[in-house]
Amino acid sequence: MSIKLFTIVLTTLIASIPAMTQVNLKIEKYQLPNGLTVILHEDHSAPVVGVVVMYHVGSKNEKVKRTGFAHLFEHMMFQGSANVGDDQHFKLLQEIGAEINGSTNEDVTNYYEVVPSNELELALFLEADRMGNLLPAMTQEKLDNQRDVVKNERRQRVDNVPYGTSWEKISKGMYPETHPYSWPVIGYMEDLSAAHMDDIKDFFRIYYAPNNACLSIAGDFDPAEAKALVEKYFKAFPRGKDIERPAEVPVSLSADILQVYEDKVQLPRLYKVWHSPKQETREDAVMTVLGQVLSSGKSSRLFKSMVYDRQVAQSVSASQSSSEIAGLFMVIATAKPGITLAELNTMVDSVVNGVIASGVTQEEIDKVITGLEAGVINRVATNLGKANSMASYELLTGDPANINRQMDHFKNITPAEVQALAKKYLSAPKMLLSIVPQGKSELAIQKIQ
Amino acid sequence: MNRTLILAGVLIAMSLTVGTLTAQVPAAIPKGKPAPVVKVPTINKTKLSNGLSIWLVEHHELPLVAFNLVIQTGADHDPLTQPGLASMTSDVLDEGTARRDAIQISDELESIGANLGVSSGIDGSFVTLRTLTTHIDKALAVYSDVIVNPTFPQKEFDRLKSQRLASLMQQKDQPTSIANNAFAHILYSANHPYGLNSSGTTTSVEGLTRDDLVKFYGAHYRPGNAVLIVVGDVTLEGITKKLEASFAAWADAPAPHFSMPAPEPATTRKIYLIDKQGAPQSEVRIGYPALARSTPDYFPVFLMNRMLGGQFASRINMNLREKHGYTYGANSSFSFRKGVGPFVASGGIVTEKTDSALVQFLYEIDLMREKGMTDEEMSFVKKGLIGNFALNFETPSQLASMMQNIILYGLPDDYYSTYLQNIEKVTPVEVLRVAKQYLDSSRMAMVVVGDMATIRPGIEGAMLGAIVVCNTDGDPLP
Repeated sequence: MSIKLFTIVLTTLIASIPAMTQVNLKIEKYQLPNGLTVILHEDHSAPVVGVVVMYHVGSKNEKVKRTGFAHLFEHMMFQGSANVGDDQHFKLLQEIGAEINGSTNEDVTNYYEVVPSNELELALFLEADRMGNLLPAMTQEKLDNQRDVVKNERRQRVDNVPYGTSWEKISKGMYPETHPYSWPVIGYMEDLSAAHMDDIKDFFRIYYAPNNACLSIAGDFDPAEAKALVEKYFKAFPRGKDIERPAEVPVSLSADILQVYEDKVQLPRLYKVWHSPKQETREDAVMTVLGQVLSSGKSSRLFKSMVYDRQVAQSVSASQSSSEIAGLFMVIATAKPGITLAELNTMVDSVVNGVIASGVTQEEIDKVITGLEAGVINRVATNLGKANSMASYELLTGDPANINRQMDHFKNITPAEVQALAKKYLSAPKMLLSIVPQGKSELAIQKIQ
Repeated sequence: MNRTLILAGVLIAMSLTVGTLTAQVPAAIPKGKPAPVVKVPTINKTKLSNGLSIWLVEHHELPLVAFNLVIQTGADHDPLTQPGLASMTSDVLDEGTARRDAIQISDELESIGANLGVSSGIDGSFVTLRTLTTHIDKALAVYSDVIVNPTFPQKEFDRLKSQRLASLMQQKDQPTSIANNAFAHILYSANHPYGLNSSGTTTSVEGLTRDDLVKFYGAHYRPGNAVLIVVGDVTLEGITKKLEASFAAWADAPAPHFSMPAPEPATTRKIYLIDKQGAPQSEVRIGYPALARSTPDYFPVFLMNRMLGGQFASRINMNLREKHGYTYGANSSFSFRKGVGPFVASGGIVTEKTDSALVQFLYEIDLMREKGMTDEEMSFVKKGLIGNFALNFETPSQLASMMQNIILYGLPDDYYSTYLQNIEKVTPVEVLRVAKQYLDSSRMAMVVVGDMATIRPGIEGAMLGAIVVCNTDGDPLP
């Protein structure tokens, strides 16, 4: 038996405008009295359920000198809770063949399980026990062990990777010291070392309350039964205090920033970064389109000029990277051997200035929109993908059904609009970060033109 | 024919109450309900008049269709003097045809939101296409043109060759790439295709010409050496008609003779040190040439490794990560290929604990070899694999990768419908037998890429074997 999952609507407006593709998922949302938001979406096409618990806490809720807590805390959530033994969280889930993980970013912390549909209850039990009963099982020994694991994660992903620390150099350069996006999600080594058991417990009490979380379930389940299980396992936990969220303060650079670092790399790389709009806004959509016009596909402007025609860059990308309270627009170009970053920078400037002066074409915009629409369908191909998107739309926009309106911000974007925002954001002061091979500082950008 | 598997009998009998209850709050770990019925989809097969086999699985949940042309030739066919040939052929394949230049190919597909992918692995080369069903005709026109009529333009070849040379430089920045390449070279030497870097070397890539690619394409990209997988919102009859028209011009020719040499067996354990000054972590690879995919011991070896290092809750990861905090993650795997692939245990280890971690890797490998798995572990692994099986039928790409597996390794058509029975059948006695046979750490190579000055004294002190200092290619330094 298979019910109709959702419909894909294709409406061709006029022949020259690409068809707008939207998904139309049937979604139920409700709240428990303790404030836990529950989102359900049924799909019986495969015997699989995706369960996501997303907490509205990330590294931006941390304080200076106390960085890396949100992510360290994510690790502690896998170490057992009052009714689940130390190594048992992983083992119970691997024993039923579940796929599981957790992730942390600036704004949210996310936990998921993909389980065979007969094991939904186990997933809910485990998520509930660590939401409500984590502290009794927390020990100094576990904290010390996971602190080591996280430090190893930092070495694996940041310190032992070429160009690996560039992202934190950018965050530090672009935002003032007190801005919550100025430190890396994974935290600084010295702050991880200083993390104290009391800090960790306070963090849990404040941010892991049911009213700061969203439970999102997509897949092959019976809704009445799922609701009864949610009530059984989550209802007893008390509501937490209201959470004070970091304010959205305007950020800008007063002048260009020039930084040069030597790293163990063979090829120099340029990062050119501007402040840009926050996520889920029209401006965010327009800047996303601009990024793709510049670097997605062989005929995109930066790729064609630097990688394809002149062949001075090994790779180039331009992208709008937006978060809950701010965004950055970034061009990253890696030089071919023998090419300096100043040369690359000149070419990037000439392309970007071309957009500011003369805009882009409607054809370029349409092509990007078509690709983005295909991406929307790919994201709803799995129950996990749907559960994830619904949860994040709930926490960041207040409505999980915005998964059905992902392309709304992209409707009728015009060349004039792209040009206006390119001018607004990319004429402002920027950061120029050069990462060059050791002893080769002459390949870096030495001065701002 | 639809094969339906009932998993219920398996799971009902098993209890999930292995957790240690430490709570004041009474809350029991719930038991699962009867397992869901997993429908292994039917593969519909047909053959085009030029000999190209089509394998189709219908999937109507999304208005998408995915194609994967599997060429039975990968980097394993690179001549010993020309590593990188298969992968450069893939790279340039979609850069021009008799009708379209590189930019047109890219633009035409982008304008309909379709994605074309060309890649090559060790066992095969792949040309994939993903498109909305509404645009299938336009997408197929470009896809088949790229497969049937590529012209390998000199200009695009030169550009991609220069890119490849730069990316080979970049591989030397990555401790993980250095470790993987050196490990393969040390295990298989330069006299075996598995010892070569499939991306090539600076010398081999500099020596490649456009003609080499044209010849490689002509010899191996033939209907008789390929299978086209189709998954998605189409029917066999409908798609066959379209494919017959699109691929009509693709002529068959016999594939050249090929035989894979057997690797030299390892004899003694040695530690190969490669210096990466100042590295905060050491990349460790431990292993030797082990088994081909065709081994009759596949299932017992697969289960045994699952417990040893093949999942998060494996012994190696629980020991090195959760107990000792040496690493973000450690694992082991048997790389089952067409020929004899390696066993490898690996991890990125904090520099100061490199020698201790090597000792713990060997401890776990030897313990498995001596004692095998407990009954409890056996049941844990089997239940996990059985439950996980149900998760593999959700998306077109999952279905396509199952078919790809059957095609590349010549597995029986009923491989997935008998998979669970084969998992069930494995006994602890068999696991112990294969552990004894295939986990001989006294013959394994231990490759370590790290800060030599810091790690060497500890490794010498641990007396695990003779030490050989190597360059980043894995060749001994004088």
